[in-house]
Parts: sequence; structure tokens; C-alpha cells
Amino acid sequence: MANVPGLGVAKGMALTLRRFFEPKATIRYPEVRLDVPHKFRGRLQLLYDEYGTLKCETCFQCAQACPIECIDMGGIDTKGRYHIHWGAPETYGERRDESALRRSGRPVPDQAYAHFDPIHPEKLEAILERFDFDPKMMLEILDATQAEYGHLPVAALKLISQRTGAWYAMIYGTASYYRHLRFEPPAAEPLAAATATARAGREAAFLAGLDASLAGPARGGRGGRRAPPASRA
Amino acid sequence: MTAVARSWGRLTLAGKILFTVIPILLLLTAGLVLVVVLFGKPVVDFLAANLWLVRFLVAATAVLLMSVPTAFLIIYMEMKVIALMNLRIGPDRVGPFGSLLSVVHGLKVLMKEDFSPTGSDRLVFTLAPVVVYMSAVMSLLVLPFAPGLFGADINIGLLYLFAVGGLTVVGLLMAGWSSFNKYSLLGGLRSAAQVVSYEIPLTLSVVGLLILTGTMSLNQISLNQAGWFTNWYVFQQPLGALIFFIAATAEGNRTPFDLTEADSEIVAGFATEYSGMRFGFFFFAEYVNVFIISGLFVALFLGGWNAPIAWPEAWAIHLTFDPGSTGMGLLFALLLIPPILILALAAPFYVGRSSLPWWQALIIGFVLFNVLAIVVVGGWAFISLDWVAGLLWFLGKTYVFVFTFVWMRGTLPRVRIDQLMGFAWKWLLPASLLNLFVTALAVIVMNPR
Repeated sequence: MANVPGLGVAKGMALTLRRFFEPKATIRYPEVRLDVPHKFRGRLQLLYDEYGTLKCETCFQCAQACPIECIDMGGIDTKGRYHIHWGAPETYGERRDESALRRSGRPVPDQAYAHFDPIHPEKLEAILERFDFDPKMMLEILDATQAEYGHLPVAALKLISQRTGAWYAMIYGTASYYRHLRFEPPAAEPLAAATATARAGREAAFLAGLDASLAGPARGGRGGRRAPPASRA
Repeated sequence: MTAVARSWGRLTLAGKILFTVIPILLLLTAGLVLVVVLFGKPVVDFLAANLWLVRFLVAATAVLLMSVPTAFLIIYMEMKVIALMNLRIGPDRVGPFGSLLSVVHGLKVLMKEDFSPTGSDRLVFTLAPVVVYMSAVMSLLVLPFAPGLFGADINIGLLYLFAVGGLTVVGLLMAGWSSFNKYSLLGGLRSAAQVVSYEIPLTLSVVGLLILTGTMSLNQISLNQAGWFTNWYVFQQPLGALIFFIAATAEGNRTPFDLTEADSEIVAGFATEYSGMRFGFFFFAEYVNVFIISGLFVALFLGGWNAPIAWPEAWAIHLTFDPGSTGMGLLFALLLIPPILILALAAPFYVGRSSLPWWQALIIGFVLFNVLAIVVVGGWAFISLDWVAGLLWFLGKTYVFVFTFVWMRGTLPRVRIDQLMGFAWKWLLPASLLNLFVTALAVIVMNPR
């Protein structure tokens, strides 16, 4: 059957005829546009005006408006020093000042961040005052905040970001790095205790397994000095 | 700036065109009237005495005029059908569904620089596309489109077709030779070799048919196949039809035998040095050739203009209505019927849907009237005019084959030159000889003297 002359031709012709009636893959671009992914924002680009001058006036409005704070700017000053970066650190909070926001035409955020679970900002303000709004003291600020509120509410993080000028994403990163900082209220006490025990047990087992696999049965003992590789001349 | 130049500058583009064209037309009309008045009588007398001359001139003009739209249509079909087979949409910008794109192609080709290379034989270089196109158009002259609708009913029509079709080779060789380019020359020789090789099985495959019909007139061959579709020669000459189809594909330089001018390759064979309208002639000739070989296949093997079903005489509808007999009434009807019918067809929509503006109702009425008029007039012509029905059948069958050629182009890969030659000489030639001998034997056995 496979050797009938012309069978391949017939098969091919049948295939193209079927394709003839199938729905087409073409997208008529200017009229029909594919949906871009939800979070697609296009490519960041600095524009030049018709005189060839950079249009950017370093107003930082784009950096301020960026919801995930991924826009940053850097540059050199007239002395060739690379230090322009969101302005000087002491002006960070100033740039997010209410009046600064108003001047730049952006909505002034609700200080209680009622949009999230609202908090009482006075206690947090006191903490920040104590640490002098210093972003370098972030871990201490977060510790104190958790001690005050029981966990780290989103509104508190937003306020910390607002007051210290540190990026929300960085604060979130810091907070999520430390195991003792948490974003939700702690679970009920017995459950939390049980969870803690279980986690401690899992960690111990994992460490033991890691030790065993690293040391190997013949060498014995963890932390012993490894024998140098034999092949090294 | 004179006053004349100022007023000229104030005209719009359309105004400038009209301002120049209208006086020219008026002058031409006046001149024509003068010529007719002065020399009309003897010219008309001469033409009346030599009707064959009128017929020839009209046929040649008609064939020339129809060849270009035919090529446009087939080029558009090729672009669109192959695109659809590739899951693309194809041309869709110019005209409805992109149908005017091939016209734009034609204009583009007209506007391009008409270049001829240094050292080329200018005369031959210019004549080559003319010869190729002329052979295509001259072949169209003997194709029987419908009963009574053909350029000339030559009693050696088929021979004429092959002879004139063979002129293509001359044109290709001229193009290859005069380009002063060895690749063109090689391309020309290659295509000449292909066309000459396939000419033999093409001609031999028809000889069996000629034994059956006893005539070479295409008109007579079409007449012989009247009646039911079982009378078509494809059922008496299946092998001949197959060989003819394959060889005609090669003759028309179509895929899978299109290596004379394979358009996926950079060097375009004999047409390498051609540009502008000279290339356009080669291009159009190719598509006119597609039409010709399809039409020829239909005329020879598929009954030509005959419908596949022979209506019994009892069922036939006879309309004895002759529009000419109504005299002035016809004129009045032509004037009055369209507006009245448009209004009558628009009225129900306007009355039935109160939200419809009157002009939209009128548009609906106009469209409906056009559909109705086309159906009624077309139906009347189809029933009472023999040649309309014949033309429709012929064109329908022909375009089915044009579609098949395009379909093959969308499917089949190109063959190598050795496969091409081997197929012609080792398979098609013996097969066509076999077909010829079997047919001759059958005729002798069936009709012993």
C-alpha cells in the first residue's frame, strides 16, 4: 500500500485542502491586537527631545509613581562623583512629604493606610522617632514594630517606608528574611507551640541528614578535617 | 506669474485632469465624426464585404483585453489560495478581500525602471517577452468558450495550439540569449529543454483522442462531447487525460515542474535580467498559460462548454421572450422598473422597522433589487441564451482546474532537473505511446472495415 505511485501526492493534496478550510493563524495587527500580559508595562526608556537633549529632568516622579519601586535613577554630579540616587538619603522622607506629593500632583496617601488593615500610627510614629527615621536601623525598627503590634501589618510597613524613605520592597525583603518577623497575627497559642515543635524537629532531622551526607560513614564525625583529594599532585 | 499660470495653479488635481482631458476628448470626437462623414461609406462597405476581417479584429481585441484581467484574477487566486492553505489570510488590504492587489502589482510593474543590461542584444531582449506573451494570446484565439463564442474555428485548431504554444520556447531562448548573461542563457536552455521534452508526450497523449474524434477542431471536439457527462473523453481516454495534465503542467512551467523560473530561487532563470513591464509580460504570460492549459484540458477531455447533464427535451424550459420585440417599451421598462422596484423593496423595511432611517431602507432596497435583477436577468440569459450557459460552464470547469494548479503549487515540492527529464522520457513518453496503440487497436477492433 505504501508503494502506490501518487499516494504521497494525494496525501499532500488532501492535507493542503484541509488546511484551506481551517481557521487562520494570522492576526491583523493594526486592527486586532493581542492582549499583553497583565503586568506588562513596556520598556523603560529615556526620551530625547527634538534638540537632542535628554528630556528627563530628574524629577523622580516616575520613581515615586512606580508601584513596585523598580524604577531608580543614578548619575554623576559636576565633579564626576556617582552619588545622585533618589537625592540625598536625608531627603528621602522629604520627597514623600505630604506637600511634596501635593506639589507633584500625586494623591497623598492615607496615613493610617486604611486601604489595608488599619493601624494606629501614633505608636509607630513614636518608634520611628526613637530611631530617628534612620533606614539603616531597619531591623531594630521592625523588631520594635512587631513588639508593638504583634506582627508586621502592611500599613505599618507602608508607613515605615513613607517615613524613612526606604523602599517598601526592601523593607518587605528585610522582614521576610528574618524568621522571627511575621506578617500575620500569630496563630492560637497551642497550635503555634505545636507548629514550633514540629518545625524544630524537622530542622533537626534535616541537619542530621545533611551531616550524614556531608561526612559519609567512613570519615565519621562532623567538622573533622577532610582528607585532601588524592589526585592533587 | 501670468494670469494663466495663476488660474492653473488654483485648480485642484481633478480639475487639472478634467481641464486637459475634456478638450482632447472633444477634439477627438469631432475628428472621428469628420472621418466617419468623409470616409464612412467606403469603409463600411469594405468591412461588410469582408466580415472575416471584422471578426478577426474583434476576436483579437477581445482576447487581448481579456488576457490581462484573467492573469490578474489568477494571480490574485494564487496569492489568496496558497495563503489560505498556509493558514495565512493573504492579501486583504486593497479592495474587497484584497482582490485588487494584483492590479496594484500590474501598476507597480508598469512604473518600474525598464532596464536592459550593457552588452545585451536590445532588439531581441525587447522582443522576447512579446513573443512569449503573443504565443499565449494567440493560443486563446482558438479556445472554444461557448457555442459560437470563439476567435476562430480552425479545422487544425489543436495543431495550431501546439505550434503557437511551441513559440514560447523561442521566446525563452531569445530572452536567455539576449540577456548577455551566462546564467540567463543556461536558464533559457534549461527551460527550452524542459518545454521541448514535455511537448512530445503532450502531443502524443492527444493523438489517441484525435483517433476517436477524427477532427482537430476544438469546436468540433467540444460538440462531440455533448449530452451526458459520460460522453466526455476523459472516460474514454483516462490515461491520455492524465498524461496531458502532467505534461501541460510542465508546459505551463507550474509546480512541481517550475524550475525554469523557480521563484524561491535567487537567479530567475531566463528572466534574470528582466525588470519592469518586460518581466511583467513573462509574468502575465505564465498565468494566461495556466488559463489556456486549464481551458484546453476542459475542452478536450471534460466536455468543453457542455453541461454534465443532458436535459430531456420534455423538461427543457423554453422562454420565447425576446426583449428586442418590445421596442420602445423596453426603454421605458429599463427607466421605470429599477426605481419602482427599489422603492417597493425598501417599503416593507421602512414600514416594518420604525427605527430605520429612510436612506438605510433605500440602501437595503437597492441591494435587494440588484440581487433580484442579477438572478432574473442571469437566469433568463442562462436559459434562453445558449452561449451564456456555455460560457458559464466552460469558465466554471476551467477555474476548477486553475484552482487545481494553484493547489498543486501550494502542495508539491519542486522536482530536480534529472527527475524532470527522466520522468518525461522514461515514463510519460512510453505511457503516451501505449495509450496511442491501445486506442488505435480498440478503434480497429470495434469498427472493422
